[in-house]
Amino acid sequence: MLDLRNLTKRFGKGDSAFTALHEVSFSIKEGEFFTLLGPSGCGKTTLLRMIAGFEPPSGGALVLDGRDIAQMPPNRRPVNTVFQNYALFPHMTVAENVGFALSAMGRPKAEISETTVRMLDLVQLSHLAHRKSGELSGGQQQRVALARALAPKPRILLLDEPLSALDMKLRKEMQVELKRLQQETRLTFVFVTHDQEEALTMSDRIAVMNGGRIQQIATPRELYDQPANRFVAGFIGETNFLPAHCTKGLLTLPQAAASLPVSYADGPVTLMVRPEHILLGETQASALTLTARVERLVYFGTDTHVHLQAEGELTLIARVQNGMRSGAPYREGETVTISLPSEALRLLPQEVA
Amino acid sequence: MDAEARLQQDDTRRRWALALPAVTIITLFSILPLVLVVVYSFLTPGDFGNVKWQLSFEGWFGVLFERDIFDDTVSFSDAHLTILGRSVALSLATTFITLVLGVPTAWFIATRPARQRAFWLFMITIPFWTNLLVRTIAVQEMIRSEGVFNSLFLWLRVIDAPIQMMFTNFAVLLGMAYVFLPLMVLPVYAAIEKFDFRLAEAAYDLYASRLYCARKVILPIVRPGIIAGSILVFIPSLSAYVTPRIMGGGKSMMLGNLIEMQFGQGRNWPLGAALALTLTALVLVALVWYTRLTSGKRKDV
Ligand SMILES: Nc1ncnc2c1ncn2[C@@H]1O[C@H](COP(=O)(O)OP(=O)(O)O)[C@@H](O)[C@H]1O
Ligand SMILES: [Mg+2]
Repeated sequence: MLDLRNLTKRFGKGDSAFTALHEVSFSIKEGEFFTLLGPSGCGKTTLLRMIAGFEPPSGGALVLDGRDIAQMPPNRRPVNTVFQNYALFPHMTVAENVGFALSAMGRPKAEISETTVRMLDLVQLSHLAHRKSGELSGGQQQRVALARALAPKPRILLLDEPLSALDMKLRKEMQVELKRLQQETRLTFVFVTHDQEEALTMSDRIAVMNGGRIQQIATPRELYDQPANRFVAGFIGETNFLPAHCTKGLLTLPQAAASLPVSYADGPVTLMVRPEHILLGETQASALTLTARVERLVYFGTDTHVHLQAEGELTLIARVQNGMRSGAPYREGETVTISLPSEALRLLPQEVA
Repeated sequence: MDAEARLQQDDTRRRWALALPAVTIITLFSILPLVLVVVYSFLTPGDFGNVKWQLSFEGWFGVLFERDIFDDTVSFSDAHLTILGRSVALSLATTFITLVLGVPTAWFIATRPARQRAFWLFMITIPFWTNLLVRTIAVQEMIRSEGVFNSLFLWLRVIDAPIQMMFTNFAVLLGMAYVFLPLMVLPVYAAIEKFDFRLAEAAYDLYASRLYCARKVILPIVRPGIIAGSILVFIPSLSAYVTPRIMGGGKSMMLGNLIEMQFGQGRNWPLGAALALTLTALVLVALVWYTRLTSGKRKDV
């Protein structure tokens, strides 16, 4: 439906030129909840603004339904944006804000009011239709911005960190609400966030970005289980990285006695293992087994984080679920045997961290 | 009297004491002169200026009517009405011209990068720090018969004889528009500078054309600045004295000059006072209309 082909964006000219996006390519499918995830400054807003039409690309193509729209002005693109700061018109009522796009298109009065009523219903704000937009709370403004962008039935809805200004509780509610809206309207959403948890819970697919480059595009589960590189592994969830070595199909970890057969190119590798996959006080047939000292226990309610120190300055964090028995399963200073099961290990090319 | 009531009385007394300087200044410089003008307008003119302390309505009568010196017949005096009409018309025209020139100028400055804006604002305000008389005479120098424009056009053979521009309504208008332009630019600039251009972006995203966005989003939000600028230009234009005196001479007189005349050669202080009060009333009407416009904005739309 929407294809980005080698989209590049440079700001400035000559020596001070700065490339905010490097040859970004991907496709978004009809009806998909697609998320751009990455740290602040990685180019998410720039990419979104290019799709909306506010930033002309410096190179590449932007194809919507088979047509290159790279040069089309924003007011002709069937794409609407929910802005980060909402950008509601302060001199208009909620209803006038929601009906703005249809009025601008010169639609008949009856259609405008009918759509406005329906949209306000959709975001559960009918009772505030005649309020000025400045008299609303943050969460309500958010809903108005959403209704306003949905009213003209865009092909794609763009959302730039729409929840970042809300407090935690409201934010969780709006996450559910947004997802419901997306499923109800079957609209294509392109959602921007720097919050990995938000991205994981809401998205059909996520594009992880860093430094103006796409790092990986995958479903939330794939991203978590099979991160393509160290950046993705570190950005999504918590992870342990261990320097290891591959020789002739055997993976060796300096701290572990035995080695594991793997199919991976020879040379130094980075071993990745999630904290919840580390087994404490157990051994398993196909695993790397080592001994470590318990440095610190951090209690988190549902589980406890066990900070471990192995030979050679290797620190690991394991996560142990808290059972119904009270009391800590380990004591600080104790030495334990830990195993890293082979199915929990991911091999990543070694990078300079 | 119980303690509480006494405390309260002390409090009231203290509040009055605090307000005393302000009340004194307002009384001395605002209310007293106004009362004086009202009183003078109901007195009889003295033989060599000043007033005689004799009640008379001749001053107010003279605003619109004339009494023949010989046979005492009363006739409608359209001379004053013409001047009044000219004052209002020239002030409206000045406001209109400064609007047409000032709004795009303010827009231009407000949309420059932040560092450049100070420079442009400085350029706009330089004339403001120059003496009004000097500025007006500079305009005169441009348009008088031997002035810059006429000399240039004569030299270019665009015209055969100098065009008479001085002492016309055009001259007064040109002078006033030039002198009052900064009063329009500054408040409009302040309003545009505060405007959040992300709103224009949102409108553009929601299928608005540039014109629709200007009409429905930008204009309503910067309107208070435009109204403030219009009032700031209209009111001093209405009571302008120096500019019409130099640019219009005796031919294109405005209310300010007419009033001055009554206190000078006219030697009719009561008439001057009555005319001054008429001018004040006009200004009040403009101000009331202004407050209606700005507060009404919140109710309707
Ligand atoms: N108009 C601009 N001019 C110059 N640099 C810009 C401009 N807009 C964004 N950038 C730069 O591009 C990079 C990406 O910005 P942005 O897309 O806003 O990041 P994000 O939304 O992921 O936080 C940043 O380094 C930012 O400074
Ligand atoms: Mg951003």
